[in-house]
Amino acid sequence: MKIYAPTGAVGGWSTSPAPSIPVLAGRRIGVLDNGKPNARLLLERAASQLAARTGASVALVVGKSVAISDDACVNAATPAGEATIERLVKEVDLVLTGSAD
Amino acid sequence: MSLDELLDIADDSPDAVLELYAERGWGDGLPLVAPTPARVDAMLAALGEVDPDEVIATLPPRGGEATRRVVAVNAVLAGCPRECLPVLVSVVRALGRPEVNLRGVNATTHPVAPLVIVSGDVVERAGYNAGLGAFGPGNRANATTGRAVRLLLLHVAGATPGPADASTQGGPAKYAYCVAENATATPWDSYPASVGVGAASAVTVHCGEAPHNVHDMESESPAPILDKVASAMTSLGQNNAVIAQGEYFVALCPEHAATIAGAGWSRRDIASYLFQRARLPASVLRSAFARRAWAPWMEAAADDDLLPMTGSADHIRIVVIGGAGKHSSVIPSWGMTASVTVPVEP
Repeated sequence: MKIYAPTGAVGGWSTSPAPSIPVLAGRRIGVLDNGKPNARLLLERAASQLAARTGASVALVVGKSVAISDDACVNAATPAGEATIERLVKEVDLVLTGSAD
Repeated sequence: MSLDELLDIADDSPDAVLELYAERGWGDGLPLVAPTPARVDAMLAALGEVDPDEVIATLPPRGGEATRRVVAVNAVLAGCPRECLPVLVSVVRALGRPEVNLRGVNATTHPVAPLVIVSGDVVERAGYNAGLGAFGPGNRANATTGRAVRLLLLHVAGATPGPADASTQGGPAKYAYCVAENATATPWDSYPASVGVGAASAVTVHCGEAPHNVHDMESESPAPILDKVASAMTSLGQNNAVIAQGEYFVALCPEHAATIAGAGWSRRDIASYLFQRARLPASVLRSAFARRAWAPWMEAAADDDLLPMTGSADHIRIVVIGGAGKHSSVIPSWGMTASVTVPVEP
């Protein structure tokens, strides 16, 4: 006999990561502080070391802007707002983010 | 989902389904009802003339498309009565709203689970329990609707413990977390009406912690009861503690609600009182949390100011649930989420 699988299809909005940059020399590194404790400290240090090893530069360190509603506060569990994303797209070539607990 | 995607199975016993699903990383660990095409079609018949393959919501982090048919498959697996399917479809619609922040709810280390509160005509029609023991076992509609929501999160949203759900300890509310509003014991408008949803039946989804008990056997006026509610709201360990957008659902038992309403208090009076009373010194909150998601005006407080546990009295929601006795509860949200109330629609 037959039964259904319970999962359904994967939706069209699921995206895959951008391709890696082959050579970092001369490229601009951004840091997006995702709001977790010590994220900025960790990510800034990682960005500085990456820049020193590759010839890239740390061009921008930012936190998130509010994305969901006027009532929401910036925090680790919500997406970065459009203003932050637009600034990162314009001013850097790669972004370090995503420190967890 | 097409008939091509059906799985072969030797028989439709719960053990056989459990074993087949477990091999694929599916299920919640409990025996499952086989979702045969005949059972799923019979379940879908409860919705009337609607497109079974329309996508109701796309659920993160997997990005799974929850069609009515997929919802029905998971309803069958959970053992739902057919009358519960419109509730489940509506819950999925609510979970898809951006303010719920389902990606965060499913991925966090916190033990958050979506609490489903069913209101209106469907409570009696589908047999939900709004009375004694409403959060507990023994009622098919509550148990299976809550279970089906979790199965949808596991299967469609991909909230598998480990790869996707990072909850440090998990929690019993992640098995099933569904209750009904006790309309007959509510001395005010229904909860959905209080937030502007006037449908005959509605569901509210509140992504929160397990209920924190509030026990008061003796008070004959609102303030002493609500001071105990405020006490339950001011624990430092809850996720809401320094998140200005955090919500608190206060589930009043009928007897506490009657005492409070009997003194002429409205829902708004209760929320305003709790906003005023559920406070801690800013210095205590600052010393406990290096990072805070406060509104700017809260950050400006002096250390000896008393700060509320949420940024607005609007974030304190009052609903009546349960039966005889004098136990209410507080259900703090996960914090980075907002509750949603939607009409029950197929």
